[in-house]
Amino acid sequence: SSGINAEYGVATDPTEDALKMHFLVHTSIDVIEEKLSSATAANDPRDLYLGQLYPNEDYRIYGYVTNTKIKIVVIETISNPLKDARQVFSQVHSAYISLVCNPFYSPGETITSQPFLQTVTALMRGKAIA
Amino acid sequence: MSRGRGAVDPKRVSSELFSLTYGCMVAQLLKDFENPEEVNKQLETMGYNIGVRLIDDFLAHSPSVTRCSTLEEVAEVLCKQGFKMFLGIVPEVRNWSSAKDEFSLVITENPLAEYVELPPHCQDCLWYSNIICGVIRGALEMVQMDVKCSFVGDTLRGNDSTEIRIKFVKILEDSLPAGED
Repeated sequence: SSGINAEYGVATDPTEDALKMHFLVHTSIDVIEEKLSSATAANDPRDLYLGQLYPNEDYRIYGYVTNTKIKIVVIETISNPLKDARQVFSQVHSAYISLVCNPFYSPGETITSQPFLQTVTALMRGKAIA
Repeated sequence: MSRGRGAVDPKRVSSELFSLTYGCMVAQLLKDFENPEEVNKQLETMGYNIGVRLIDDFLAHSPSVTRCSTLEEVAEVLCKQGFKMFLGIVPEVRNWSSAKDEFSLVITENPLAEYVELPPHCQDCLWYSNIICGVIRGALEMVQMDVKCSFVGDTLRGNDSTEIRIKFVKILEDSLPAGED
């Protein structure tokens, strides 16, 4: 599978319509940016997990943003519901940290790292990471 | 020997900071020299400069280490004390030549290479941790031993193991400074 463009990167299940996923991700990122800019003392911007982003009849869309403003969006279909969204985000975040520790990877580059892509793929299939 | 640097505990440097520093240095060398072979040479030279200095620190902190009379003893001290002290790992000594003048060090966990993935153009030629070979060569030279030291395998390159081959060349005689008898 191709790499993930880190401007916005999409890893999808091949049975889903990739274009639709890209569109949903774009919209989600806009929603996240809105949430970030309207963050007040009351809603703590340091809580990385943003929960469900907006309603959609076919999918549930969750958001997460790291302290370095990396946004992670997880789109769950009715057929493949997530057991624990926070866990998934925290694992993607960990995988991203390992990726960034590679001295040959610069943040913002297209992600081609096999370990990272494998982790994301496994998470999509609902497999827990050890 | 106190260094009077206040609260800094010289024994505690985060291993992540260390690996990231080394990694950024290798990445920078690659940008500067472009040729992985040249980077290998640079890393070895840097390692040599570290090794000639490190040996005194090592011996000062290891009073139990005495003069080694065989290469086997050297290998043992190198792994069980040298590597342990500075990298926190103990490589395995293996593959002795029949003449007992050559052996391998096999490293299972390499703290320098955590999280590293080699870019495709370096996969077949860069020895990422080549600084270690220089350190060994430099350190042993200061105790009058001339050795050849090089990587023969690296898990970063997809090899089965990360292995350094060390070959004893000769004992170095102290040469008298010019003009003396």
